[in-house]
Amino acid sequence: MTARIALLVALAGCGVVAQGPYTRDVLRAPVDQDRQAYIHALKIRAHQLHLAQAAQWLRLGHWRRTWSGDYESQADGTNFFLSPHGKDSPTQELDATLEGFFSELPANDPRLASKNVQHPICQFPARFQWLSEQLAIDPAKLPAHDCSRYEEFVKSLQADSVTLVFSSYYLNNPASAFGHTFLRIGKKNALIPEERRQLLDYGIDYSADVDTNFAPVYAIKGLAGAFPGTFRKVPFYFKVREYNDFESRDLWEYKLRLTDKQRDFLVAHVWELGSTFFDYFYMSENCSYHILGLIEVANPDVRLLDDMHWPVIPADAVKALYDNPGLVESVEYRPSSRTRFRHDIQDLSSDQRDAIEALADDPASKMSLGQKQSIEVLDAAQDLVDIRYAKQLIQDSRDSDGARIKQKLLERRAEILVPSVDAAEAVPWSKMPQRGHDSRRVALGGGADLQSDRWAAFGARLALHDLADPSDGYPDLSQLEFLPTRARYDVTNRRFELDQMDLVHIISLTNQDRFDRHISWEARLGSQRIDDAGCRTCYAGHVQVGAGGALSTPTERVTAFVLGETHVWSGPRLDGIGGAPIRIGIGPAGGLRLRITPELVSLLMGEWDWLPEQTGFSTWYASETLRWEIFHDVALDLEARAESHRQSGVLSTMLYF
Amino acid sequence: MKKLVIGAALGTMLMAGTAFAGPYGTAGCGLGSIVFGSSPGFVQILAATTNGIFGNQTFGITSGTSNCSNTGGGTQSAQAFIETNREALAKDISRGNGETIKNLATLSGCQDPTAVGATLQRNFKTIFPSSDASNTQVSGAVINVLKSDKTLACERLI
Repeated sequence: MTARIALLVALAGCGVVAQGPYTRDVLRAPVDQDRQAYIHALKIRAHQLHLAQAAQWLRLGHWRRTWSGDYESQADGTNFFLSPHGKDSPTQELDATLEGFFSELPANDPRLASKNVQHPICQFPARFQWLSEQLAIDPAKLPAHDCSRYEEFVKSLQADSVTLVFSSYYLNNPASAFGHTFLRIGKKNALIPEERRQLLDYGIDYSADVDTNFAPVYAIKGLAGAFPGTFRKVPFYFKVREYNDFESRDLWEYKLRLTDKQRDFLVAHVWELGSTFFDYFYMSENCSYHILGLIEVANPDVRLLDDMHWPVIPADAVKALYDNPGLVESVEYRPSSRTRFRHDIQDLSSDQRDAIEALADDPASKMSLGQKQSIEVLDAAQDLVDIRYAKQLIQDSRDSDGARIKQKLLERRAEILVPSVDAAEAVPWSKMPQRGHDSRRVALGGGADLQSDRWAAFGARLALHDLADPSDGYPDLSQLEFLPTRARYDVTNRRFELDQMDLVHIISLTNQDRFDRHISWEARLGSQRIDDAGCRTCYAGHVQVGAGGALSTPTERVTAFVLGETHVWSGPRLDGIGGAPIRIGIGPAGGLRLRITPELVSLLMGEWDWLPEQTGFSTWYASETLRWEIFHDVALDLEARAESHRQSGVLSTMLYF
Repeated sequence: MKKLVIGAALGTMLMAGTAFAGPYGTAGCGLGSIVFGSSPGFVQILAATTNGIFGNQTFGITSGTSNCSNTGGGTQSAQAFIETNREALAKDISRGNGETIKNLATLSGCQDPTAVGATLQRNFKTIFPSSDASNTQVSGAVINVLKSDKTLACERLI
């Protein structure tokens, strides 16, 4: 497998890797004998104290034990190590670091022009601080060093607080399917209230440097860790505009309880990480993973990375924070433009809603409302236009419909010289990601059908959520499943059978109303066992796509949907079109989801498919699922299912972990 | 191999935190030029399927604070703020209030964000004469309005 990945990566080309010069090549070891003796003494002391094996040193260098028991650093940039063997040896790197602190950069070396090259005290301020404390390094013995670039960095952040930001799921934007995490460094400023300066904070973001937009190469390189991932310092307002406005994702912010010293140590370590990259693995060493690594460095008492399992889902990062009691100081919520719009129109009259709809199509349309009502309508219509034309607006297409409609609406609003009031936002606390069930799931139960077959039922799923799962912490109308698998051991016939194994199964429902015409859709890729007139227990590959509409009550408690589905099955024993091993099915599907409580969900689904020119002519099923979360992360699942020639029921226990 | 196939499907979905190392646009610090680089059509699909899409060295940790990432206060940072927040700020200016106005007032060193909101709202047509106004025209106009109203005392604008 490794060889194949290597080959694929080779075909795809390699990620951009930062080139030299490296600090260690430019550094000159001290010739002064006193200094040499002092370094020697420090090294001995460090060895006596076993500093190279200290948890904090290992965290600072991002060394983890490999399967063979040796250390290896997850950092992949050469310049992150002062020893040529630093990546694999915390001990040699510690010795080289101590020596580096007392080395000098030759003043006239042309390589100093590179931003890679810094004096080790400046390049590794967190290492320097920690080692100084452990070994009581005498500052008087240090060589002259100029850390102005690092100081400028610290000054630009003016760090006061550290907040982990989670940008939530929104399935109509595939990128946001799993969410994203980054840090916001709150600025120090006692004189000005936070609401007047929060946008000016900096976000610390870890992301991959993607150098292709060819999807298959992108996916393969992303999985194989062939993109370098780096840390960036981005004004927070970029993130707000990107996530809140452009992608319609709500932001959850978790302010961390850190001492001033811990906070400053985190900032120092961000700077250290600025001179390296990590191979970016979408599934494991991703944005969430390394952001947690940063928090671990800040506070040696917290444990975050050890509890991470494959795959690392951004919401797991939030849950990991809560596994450390007291680490989260407070939670804030920043609704997306879509959420804000929904909230703002809740209390408006039907006349006002009519006016909003009319204005978003024709910004010059007549309005006969009082001033306060007009302001509410114009403000909401602006938001609606922003959501509808988000792409045009962000691309700066100045001669687009979106830009023109918006301009006219804004002009009308500006004529009323009364300021709008700040909206008070209702926070959907139950949707906080850490309240959601865990991302993996296994199920064990028993089933029976009217033909008197009995079986033990097994289920497993790698991630993340389906429509019948406990709804806290997740969007109500979205399903995103990876590797959902169902199997059975047929007790009557003493046979083990795989019923279904999908690679991915997504359902995205959107309540259709006058303001949102997004279609609802379903996509599924995988395989399933077919057992009907056309084929007795054949196993077939399966692709399914569907599109339609959904209607939901305002709190999304009751949702009905209808989708037109298309299926293609292919398997060696299938008696499909004209006798070929391919079967095609087309037909309507529908469902009714009822969230009785967040812990108890009922899902009724059914589908009829026409199988043109195929044995059996048609196929259908209807199923009712009732799932009740009895304890956190433990659910009872009852499923009754009727198909063309079979009626069955399965009762199982589901465990989220 | 199976893990790779699973991953390939997942990978196209789980793009949590990717960035396109695109060129920095020439139109000031507009969000679009930074998000999409200079070739919107080409990168658009990628941007739609990725997550963190700010990849250029504008934001490197060790490359120092660039014009477009300066939030330290003063004219230059106000300019960058206006250009990147253009769409949200335009709405807030038409409403005479809002988060972007409050933050802009802080960057510009103005005393009273409420007064700043009122002044900007009154001058909406000067700032946004038409939908064609470029980002740099808009940022220039906003700063002019703030500077010329002496009662606002936006002391960090020079």
